[in-house]
This record gives sequence, structure tokens and C-alpha cells, in this order.
Amino acid sequence: MIQRREFNKLAALAAASAAAQARAQQSSPAPKPATNDGITWDKAPCRFCGTGCHVRVGVKNDRVVAIEGDQLAEVNKGLLCVKGYHVGLALYGKDRLTQPLLRRNGVLEPISWEEAIETISQKIMAAPEQFAIYGSGQWTIPEGYAANKFIKGGLGSNHIDPNARLCMASAVTGFLSVYGVDEPAGCYDDLDKCDVLIMWGNNMAEMHPVLFSRVMDRRTRGEKVTIIDLGTRRTRTTEFSDHYLEFRPHSDLAIMNGIAHLLIKQNAFDPKFVERFCNFRKAPKDPLATPSAPLHGDAMSFEDYKAALEPYTPELVEKLSGVPAEQIRMLAGLFANKDIRITSTWCMGFNQHSRGTNANRLCHGIHLLSGHFGRPGDAPTSLTGQPSACGTAREVGTMCHFLPGGRLILNPEHRKETETIWNVPEGRINPKIGHHTVLMWEKFCTPADKGGDIRTLWVQVTNPGQSLPNLHKLFKAKAGQPDKFLIVSDVYRTATTELADLVLPSAMWVEKNGMFGNSERRTQQWFRMVKPPGDARDDAWQMIAVARRLHDLGHAGMKDKDGRFLFTLKNDKGEEVPVWEWPRYYDMNVDKALFEEYRAFSRYKHKDLAPYDEYVKARGLRWPVVQQQDGTWRETKFRFSEFDDPYVKKGAEIQFYHSVTKDDKALIWFAPAEKAAEEPDADFPFWLCTGRVLEHWHTGSMTRRIPQLHAAMPHSYVEMHPEDARERGLANGETIVVKTRRGELRLPVWIDGRGHPPRGSLFIPFFDERLMCNDLTLGEVDPISKEPDYKKCAATVARASSAP
Amino acid sequence: MSAALSRRGFFAAFRQPFERRVAPAAAPVVKREEAADVAKVAIVQGRFCIALTSFCSACVERCPVSGAMKKERGMPMVVADICTGCGICHDVCPAPRNAVLMLPRRPSLTPQPT
Ligand code: SF4
Ligand code: SF4
Ligand code: SF4
Repeated sequence: MIQRREFNKLAALAAASAAAQARAQQSSPAPKPATNDGITWDKAPCRFCGTGCHVRVGVKNDRVVAIEGDQLAEVNKGLLCVKGYHVGLALYGKDRLTQPLLRRNGVLEPISWEEAIETISQKIMAAPEQFAIYGSGQWTIPEGYAANKFIKGGLGSNHIDPNARLCMASAVTGFLSVYGVDEPAGCYDDLDKCDVLIMWGNNMAEMHPVLFSRVMDRRTRGEKVTIIDLGTRRTRTTEFSDHYLEFRPHSDLAIMNGIAHLLIKQNAFDPKFVERFCNFRKAPKDPLATPSAPLHGDAMSFEDYKAALEPYTPELVEKLSGVPAEQIRMLAGLFANKDIRITSTWCMGFNQHSRGTNANRLCHGIHLLSGHFGRPGDAPTSLTGQPSACGTAREVGTMCHFLPGGRLILNPEHRKETETIWNVPEGRINPKIGHHTVLMWEKFCTPADKGGDIRTLWVQVTNPGQSLPNLHKLFKAKAGQPDKFLIVSDVYRTATTELADLVLPSAMWVEKNGMFGNSERRTQQWFRMVKPPGDARDDAWQMIAVARRLHDLGHAGMKDKDGRFLFTLKNDKGEEVPVWEWPRYYDMNVDKALFEEYRAFSRYKHKDLAPYDEYVKARGLRWPVVQQQDGTWRETKFRFSEFDDPYVKKGAEIQFYHSVTKDDKALIWFAPAEKAAEEPDADFPFWLCTGRVLEHWHTGSMTRRIPQLHAAMPHSYVEMHPEDARERGLANGETIVVKTRRGELRLPVWIDGRGHPPRGSLFIPFFDERLMCNDLTLGEVDPISKEPDYKKCAATVARASSAP
Repeated sequence: MSAALSRRGFFAAFRQPFERRVAPAAAPVVKREEAADVAKVAIVQGRFCIALTSFCSACVERCPVSGAMKKERGMPMVVADICTGCGICHDVCPAPRNAVLMLPRRPSLTPQPT
């Protein structure tokens, strides 16, 4: 029986032998010898979550037939979670989309790719400024780059936003306003080194299972790591935690202020660290003064900061949060202790929060204030949900206000630099930011004569018909508006294709070349290993083919300054390949060409990427990847720390070289505890929280088609406290009606199930397209990040039989 | 906990029929000789169980018989004396190699007729 502790041993063995036969540098898949059973193996990151595990993919007769954890991968050391083991089956659901479909008289009918590309091109030509792209943190890096260049550099429009807006936008605004540059300073190695792991509203065992296994593995090996779970319900993570602190939804802000209060009151903060490396900030008096005002804030003295925290005594925090004052003191005590290393992790609990930016800031703040920063194991680290939310949404900048490499639409210099790299005429890039996700869908669902200025919307690699909040308003309202045209590129029919006017069949995962960027700044690469089914084609090809058609129709934006097509791509020999013709698309490595072009953007914010071929050899590399004297490329694990980050000045120890205040210092923010946008009341007495489950990836369009995963988790449910159920006479498994001010849903109640919400609180997962909890959610957005809150709204329940 | 709140009901509506089911959940007491060739019991093969190195609880969550399965340090365990052999845990197990074996119930494990 393989014990957990054997795991690393096995991994080490495999690493030694495989290193011996490491492949030569190459940028196209070299023919790999098949093993005895006729299976050829290659590497790829898992298709599902932001953890970014690597798998070995076994292929036989043009079909993925085997999946193994990749022992060479540092992220997972050969380990996978239940989804990862079955990732290969995501390709083989019976109802893969295999041909383009156009809706005629209400019915989706097959059409040719030529017609499909022509239809899209005509729609765009008719009103380019009313066209938008809704993309994804599951786009590969080159796909997102192509879409971004097409719309911003070609159409001169910024109406592009990824689903990542629903997922980590608040982490981005948090990092930007604290460090002046996005993404965590630390990495997963912190999980191996910390003495205390604090998970803030973060159910790691369920959502990032392999990361949590890494921590569990330390325990099995006899290391001591104290695990603290701060949550609003008991979860799988709680089972393994030393401390469980249950707080009232939205009161995480109060808890963090309570910790800062005590650190200062007891003079237990780190004055040296604060003086050398930090400035203080609060929300600006006038957030509209300049576009950057909300991110830069107003300066605040230490004395003011202290005064602002004065009210947050442990007793007040207990009142606001329900967490006993003693426990707040315990947390503060940990931060006061410089001899231990503390890693904080968070994900949707902080991010999908109507004060998400502030929640992120406060967490960074207590780490900075206490000096728990910059040593391995001492780190505030956000985890992302999607495999390339970091790589494609944040780094490529597929958001409506970003340009690639951390640049901003609103900054004229940044626009100019981008125009230079793209070789497009000055002024091509629209200086006005585009519509963020919620606004984009609102505008799409609003009739043109009522201000709905988006007419054609192209969705790729995501399922907004299920994942947007408040679906009646933001998605379903599209129905019955014939002038609104919805294009959906996907691999299966989904809630989104239900309302689509044009459906494009896409290649997925190892049916195409790809690159992802995971939560810890790790850029990963894989090759196409099998052909897509039927007439399914790459998402990037679809975008380039439309661009080419627009070019041929005479759209001036599709040409660069020298009159050449925007996507003039050359193979390794320097020959141009007309990749917009599908049969020629794989005559060269389009991913490599796009990535090498994109790389030029990565230096400005010190997010340096290595050449494509380096990623072919590696199981991902964490940026900044910097070339050494000897020509090799070295990744960076701990940013801003002199011992590891090559961009930190000698002797500086810690340097925030993108500091907002331009003095190499990070910002510690004050933000008040506030009420949630909608709280339980007499009519709607329950809190309703939504989220994921272990077996299913987001909206379940892939995982629900995998028999093993479907069998293990076949149906959505609502979790409820046994006492609440008993009071209402509800039996376990009984169908009940959950109702909010937005809609209602009938589903079975699960008592003492996987999660255990406290009294007055409900939880519904969002994977089940038959039972869409986003009919209920409020989706109040954070004013700074524009990310909606999916975790809090007010609901009521009733017996299904007695409901009207 | 009241009978209404037992775990038995949950997911019942979505359960796949299990063809190998031999003993109904509320099995009447059967004679030992007859039971020997039909009655089964579930056994978790730890080395194939996803909970060993990662996380999973599908079998424990879906077992319809209160007390027949429990979790010990994250790992599922069948309490043979209570297990009715219904096979649901086997059906729902998502491990790459099914970790639940349905074994013929050995006479010594059958509930004693009262
Ligand atoms: S933890 Fe995430 S990346 Fe790793 S195997 Fe599971 S789903 Fe895939
Ligand atoms: S066979 Fe499995 S599911 Fe059925 S009673 Fe026994 S342990 Fe429970
Ligand atoms: S369902 Fe299978 S893999 Fe999951 S815990 Fe049970 S035996 Fe283990």
C-alpha cells in the first residue's frame, strides 16, 4: 500500500531517471516512441483548475487513452485529484459539437465554416463598435493574445473581458493597489515552508485539492503545520484543520481590522519592516478625481491609521463577526510572533465579495504590518480558480481596461508602446476602456433603443448562461431580441448555446497546442496530441479567420502600419504561412509565433517570459524567467526578495520595485468593516452562498459528461443546518424551494452532507445546468474591481408542496 | 436525529439502479446457508482509493445505511456488520480503478439471526 509519505520518494526516483532522458530542445512535437502497448506519452497541464498540475497523456490511435500524474511536475509530484485522473474523458462526451450551427427559425442548423466566418464578419462590419468578445481564464495564452490584438489592435475597441472578471478581478486590484503590480509575490513553495497556514474563506481541500494534499503530506511526514480555517460553513477543509473560526458572512473585513488593531495596541507589529518598506493608504476622498484614484488612494499617516483601527477591539470584532474575542487574540498572537512563518491563502471567499478589493488589501496589510512577508513560508497568496486566469486574463491583459504585460488602456504611453509592438498606426488603440463583464452583458441584454450598445457578442471557452450572476437580468433577457446576435465557441451544448444564434465547434485541450499560466506565475506549454472531432477547430484559428475575412472585406484595422495583415505569421524558417486557411493552420506552430510576439510585452512589469522552447522542456516556469550568464533561464520563486528575485537591488533585502508610491514601498490600506449589499431580513431570513464541489469543474459542461465524476456527484442540492430543517419539517433529500428577490429554484435539501452551514445559512453548488443557482444570486459588484459577489444574498426556503 | 433527517433519502431519486444488488436495503433476516452465495459486503481497497493521496468521500456520502460507512482520517471504512451489500458505494466510486470491492459475505460476517 502506498502511503502518502512514500509519494515523494517515488516522485524523486522518477525524476532522476526521467531527467536522464530529458528531451532535446524543440518547438514542434518530435515523434515520440510508442511504448510496448502502442501508447505514446506527452506532457500537458491539467485542463481543469488553477492549481496547474501536470499530467502525462497517453495516446493511441488518435485517442487519449490514459492519464497519469506527472512525477516531473513540481506542482503535483505525480499526484492528481479526482478530476485530474479523468481529464482525458472531457474530450469524449457523446455530444461533442462537430460542426458550426446557425439558428434559423429558432432551430440550430448545420452550416459550413465559410458561412459561419462570413456571418460573423458581416455582423462585425455592420457595427464594429457594437461588437464585443467575452473570453475566459481557460483560453490559452496565445488564444487570449490573438483575441486581444484582434479587437484592441484591429477593431480599435476595448469591449473584451474574460470570465476571470467573475473570479479574480478583486485579487488583481488588491495586488495592484498594494504592490503596484499584479500577482502573488510567493508561490506554492510557501505551502511547504509555512508553520501556519491560514485559509481565508478558502476551501482548499475541495477546490485546490492537490495543494491541500501537499500540506497534508507534510503532516504525514511528521512536520508540524498549524492549519486554520476561517469560513462561513464547515467544509472538507475544516475536517483537517487545527482551528475552525466561523464568521458571519462579510465580516472578514472586521476580523482583519481586529488583528491589525491588536498588533498595534500591543506594539507587536514590525516597526522596522513598516518603516523601511511600507506606506499607509485609505480610500480616496474623491474616487473619480483621476482614473487611478481608487487604486492609489489617499496618503495616511501611521497615526491616522492607528486611530482608524482604534474601534476594532476584539470585543467589537466578536460582535460583528461572531468569532470569539479570544480567537481574534489568538490570530493576532500568531502574527505577532516573528519566529513562525505564516502563509495566507484565499480564493473566491475574498474575491467574490462586494468589498473584495478591500478584503484583499487588508490581508496583505496584516502580513506587511507584522513583517510576515518575503521569507519562504511567509506570504499572502491568492489562489486562482481557472487554469489560465493568471496567464491569459491578467498577464495577456484580456480585460477591458488592460493591455498586454500589465499595461493600461488609460495610459497614453502604454497605448503607444503596444501600438509599436503591434506595428499599428498611432491612435489605433481606443483610449476609452471597454465594458467590464457585468456591464457588457447588461448592455447586450438591453434593447438598442434603451441604451444597449452591444449588438454582437462572441463568447469563447466559457459558459456565462450558467455562470453569470442574476441570470434573468444578465443573460436570459437576451431571448426575444432579434437584433442581438450571440456567437458561442464551445465543445458541448451548454446553457449559453441555448440562446446562441451561431455555435462554433472548438478543439479543446490536447486537440490543440496550448499554454496556460497557473496561480503561482507558472507558464506551461503543451502540444496537440490528437485531432479534434469532426469539423471542430482551434479558437485562435476562429479569431484569425474572422480577422482575415474582415481584412479581405476591406476593414482598415486588419492591416498594420505597413499594410500587412495583423496576423502575418512566419514559421521557424521565416516563411509566411496563410494560417487563416484551416488546412495550413498546423503547417507552423502558431502558438510559438504568437507567444514570441507576446513575450516582448512581458519585460515592462518584470514579468519576463522565456522563449517558447524553454517551456517545451519544462513543466512550467515561474516568471520572471531571467537569462543567466551561462545562457540558461532561471525562474523566480519569491518576488521582491533579494535572495531570489534578480530584480531586487543588492542590499535592499526587500524591494517593491513597482511601488505605487515610486519609493519601493508597498501600501498598507485601511478599509472599514461594512455591511453586505443584501443581508437576511424577515422576508428572506437566510444567507445564501454558492460555490464549487470537488468533482465538478465550474459549470460542469465537461465534468458532468465524465461518467465517474457524474456518478460521484450527480445532482445539485442545497445544504442546510439540521435544526433549520427540523423547524420547517424538511426531510433530508426532500425537494424544497429556495427563493430570493431574483428568482427561485427547486432542489433537494442535503442535511449533514458534504458541507455544514451554520444556522440561518444555505449553500448551493453551481455545477448543475438543470438547477442554476445563479437564477438566485445578487451579483452586487465590488466598486473597484467590478467583480460580483456570489457568496452573499438573502434567501428563503419553503416546502415544494406548499410553495405557490 | 429524527428519522426524517436520516441520510437514507438523499440522492435516492438520482441513484443508478445497481444490477448486482442482491440484498435489499431493509433485508429481512435470511438463513445463513442461502445468504452465503448471494449476500455481499463492501470492502474499500485503500491503495486504489483517491482519499489516500487526495480527497474523496463519494461512497461515504452516498451509502444509504446509517453507520455502514465511516471516515477515519479522511479514509472511508466499511463497517461490515452494518453494510447491507447494496453496492451503491461501488457504483459511485470515481477512482481510476474502482476502490470498492463487493465481496461475497463470509458466513462469519452475516448478522446472526435473532
Ligand atoms: S488539483 Fe486542479 S489541476 Fe490538479 S488535477 Fe485536480 S483539477 Fe487538475
Ligand atoms: S454496500 Fe456500500 S453503500 Fe451499500 S450499505 Fe454497504 S457500505 Fe453502504
Ligand atoms: S468513492 Fe472510492 S475513491 Fe472515493 S473515498 Fe470512496 S472508495 Fe475512495
